Amino acid sequence: MRRPQFRFGDLRVVALGLVFVLAWGGIGYRLFRVQGANAAELAQLGFDQRLRHEQIEAKRGTIYDRDGVELAVTIYGSSLAADPSLVEEPARAAAALAPVVDADYVEMVTRLEGDGRFVYLARGLEHDVAEEARRIIEEEDLVGFIFEEEPLRIYPSGALAAPVIGLTRLDDGSGVEGIEAVMDTELAGRPGKRIVERDRAGRAIPQAEFLLEPSVPGSDVVLTLDRELQYAAERSLQAGIDRTDAIGGAVVAIDPRTGEILAMVSLPSFDGSDRSQLDPATIRNRAISDVFEPGSTLKAVTVAAALEEGIVRPDTPFETPREIEISGETYSDHGYNPPVMTVSDIVAKSSNVGTIQIQRRLGNEAHYRYLDAFGLGRTASIDFQGEATGRLEHVTDWCGPACGASAAIGYGIGATPLQMAEIYATLANDGEWVEPHIVSEIIAPDGSSLVTEPRRREVVSADTARTIRSMLRGVVERGTGRRAALDDFPVGGKTGTTNKFNVESGEYSDTDTIAWFIGIAPIDDPAIVVAVVLDTPRGELPDGTDLQFGGASAAPIFAEIAETALHQLGVAPTHDADG
Amino acid sequence: MTGRTTPFDHATRMTEPAPTPTIVQDADERVSTRDQIREERAARALHLRDRRTVFIVVPVIMLLIVGLGAMLSASSVVAIRETGDHLFYIKRQIIWVGLGLASLVIFSKVPYRWYRTFALPIFLVAVIGLLATLVVGDVRGGARRWIEVGPLTIQASEFAKIATIILLSAVLAKKERLLDRFPHFILPVVTILGVVSGLLLLQPDFGTALLIGVSAFAVLLASSAPLGFLVGLGGVGGALAVAGAFAMDYRRDRITGFLDPFADPLGTGHQAVQSLVALGTGGLFGVGLGASRARWSFLPNAHTDFIFAIIGEETGFIGAMLVIVLFAVFAAVGIRIALTAPDTFGRLLAVGIVSWLTFQALVNIGGVVAVLPITGVPLPFVSSGGNAMIVSLGAVGMLINISRSSGVESVSP
Repeated sequence: MRRPQFRFGDLRVVALGLVFVLAWGGIGYRLFRVQGANAAELAQLGFDQRLRHEQIEAKRGTIYDRDGVELAVTIYGSSLAADPSLVEEPARAAAALAPVVDADYVEMVTRLEGDGRFVYLARGLEHDVAEEARRIIEEEDLVGFIFEEEPLRIYPSGALAAPVIGLTRLDDGSGVEGIEAVMDTELAGRPGKRIVERDRAGRAIPQAEFLLEPSVPGSDVVLTLDRELQYAAERSLQAGIDRTDAIGGAVVAIDPRTGEILAMVSLPSFDGSDRSQLDPATIRNRAISDVFEPGSTLKAVTVAAALEEGIVRPDTPFETPREIEISGETYSDHGYNPPVMTVSDIVAKSSNVGTIQIQRRLGNEAHYRYLDAFGLGRTASIDFQGEATGRLEHVTDWCGPACGASAAIGYGIGATPLQMAEIYATLANDGEWVEPHIVSEIIAPDGSSLVTEPRRREVVSADTARTIRSMLRGVVERGTGRRAALDDFPVGGKTGTTNKFNVESGEYSDTDTIAWFIGIAPIDDPAIVVAVVLDTPRGELPDGTDLQFGGASAAPIFAEIAETALHQLGVAPTHDADG
Repeated sequence: MTGRTTPFDHATRMTEPAPTPTIVQDADERVSTRDQIREERAARALHLRDRRTVFIVVPVIMLLIVGLGAMLSASSVVAIRETGDHLFYIKRQIIWVGLGLASLVIFSKVPYRWYRTFALPIFLVAVIGLLATLVVGDVRGGARRWIEVGPLTIQASEFAKIATIILLSAVLAKKERLLDRFPHFILPVVTILGVVSGLLLLQPDFGTALLIGVSAFAVLLASSAPLGFLVGLGGVGGALAVAGAFAMDYRRDRITGFLDPFADPLGTGHQAVQSLVALGTGGLFGVGLGASRARWSFLPNAHTDFIFAIIGEETGFIGAMLVIVLFAVFAAVGIRIALTAPDTFGRLLAVGIVSWLTFQALVNIGGVVAVLPITGVPLPFVSSGGNAMIVSLGAVGMLINISRSSGVESVSP
């Protein structure tokens, strides 16, 4: 048995081994400091750079027409994004992808060549488009592309009623126009909250998400609009605009018994699903935001007031000279009228001179009271954003008899198409004003619903309303509104033509007009009121009739729409053909 | 042979029962008993050799498993972003580990004395490899460190590590009796290290140069060179290393980033801060396998140089400590193999291999836990990398061969 011989080098090697073991011990101690004692502090640093408190988008409610057809609905679309630092051949990738997602090639290349680590290439892609893009990315072996789900508002009926329904913003999905804006609170719902961990580029880290509060989806909104009638009204108005080369036009169709707006058209229009060609002029809902002088259509109010006040009867005769001068202003009639006319004739023939005579007997004070009671000078409904109040100065600010005379024939007063429809709806509903509305029901996600109960009040008596209606029937049967007549239904209404007032120059145009027709059908048992207005119609009919006049340009549009509406509402024909 | 007692004897002495009375009875019996004892000893030696092999192989295999597990998680994010296949790096790593294990088995069979014979040619091949790298190498991240050959990437510096250790061990073993004369000591050391470090610094690869320098110093420590020489050489070498560290801006940044990483957490201190955040997030028990947050583009090189941070994050202090214990066991068993090596060359070679792999692991993990500056060297057996895997597992094979040779040597007449 030999004792192991000690070698000089052994001590140094053992020392080296000792150094190693001690070094690892030191590292172990350091590790304990980092992962034990200081772990919470360091982990907090990590949380700070990863954790984001985020909102969970609530699913926006759907907008339906009265029959439950979807007019605006939120689906989940995709956004195509990229991490430019990973994209290898921007030009090739863009050439393959740009046409599919309908993006500009040059723009896409620019974005892909950028410095960032996250760029959007196309947003709001529908499912099939996103799938196609995915397929191409796989096929072409493209690297660095990301798809993100996001809510997408689509309008299944395209441009139908677009200015009424409105729009949502692309970024946060909130409503900015139309029903989308007015009902935004109801439609939007309540966003939820969550904590998400995100990487340095802002992408969510999988399996690291904590829900704090679920989102509450938005309520659905049911409109009073009838999709079929809306479509017919849009087509008729568009045809009318095409015939007359008008700048634009509006139609409002109301059920006078309920105040429900069955159709509301504003042209030119837009398609909310296609954002590439949005123009403020097309987004505006002319039916509620454009203020025109109502002209002769307002004579119905003048006469109704005089009847209601007991000042005139339908057969009360008035002298109707060719001209009449009030406080230095001269008023005259279009065309030839007999020197003496009854109130009915004055309405039927739309005599300015005669109407002014009636108004003079009524007086400004009483006249104003009725203009106010019929709803002029204030918004008609709470269902619209940006509804104009129109223009009705208080009677104490009127310039005296001249203002009264102008007001009698619808000048110096401004009204929206909706307000004019509202006035005729009141006359059609036996003098009872029913609040016009377009939202019929709000259905909460839990199924509970809020049904609109329109306000009602009497403006004139049923007798007065019926009398006016028979006069309006005369307008269509023997006066200025013959082109509004229907074969199967008796119709009443009133034409109106005003010279267009240029706000900038403060003068009336010699050439441009606003052409109105507002009618009620059937006139003996009203089911629908339709107001039609054309902005600057031009040209002539083959028989030489000037299309600038409401009786020539607007009345036929009314007839088409009213006929469709009555069929749509299932109203049985009551009018015998030769009546 | 120097006739010294081998640890085999030592071990025998420890385990052998009290001498049996039969031993001194008669010569014939004594002879036959000696044969018996010889056989017994041979059998014990075999047993011991196997046990020692197990002690060195088991920690390495465990580190390989830990590495693959961590890689699966750490590389998945970068793999899917770069290649679309989240298993891309792990598949590659599995192939490398397979090749590495093959290399381990092969080198454990090759008698280690052959390296002594072929030390110079081996070193020259490494030098040619380094020269070729400088000429036809691929530039990545501002350094020329790789040669692309078809689908393969050759990193000559990995090979240079073991080649340098072999040559230095061979020369020092040969000059064993002359090392107390300064020229005999300094000339081979300066020549060998000068050539290798020079070529590495041209790439530049300061980290590997430093690692080879420190490993070489460990080999010198195990040699018969006088302590005074070692202290002097260590002083000069240390000074050169410090000077080299401050010579380049990015290295200086790494040092300032190391001294106070939180002074510039988005700049020079970025990796250190993110690494500490990952470890802190892991805490004592970890966030769970595959749940690392740091890999989501917070921690750069998560599957290569910083894989230890991912291990610490996912398995916590417990898992990270296991890795440290495994490396410590590897170092201790390696040193034991060196002490029991049958000859000086084997002893120096074993010290060199163990020191290289241990220093590399210390430098890597030291950087991750921010007690050392970040040098960009991978963690042996764990980090991604084919060349490193094959060379380091091959070196473990050499250790095994040295370990197995010790017992056999002592019983041969």
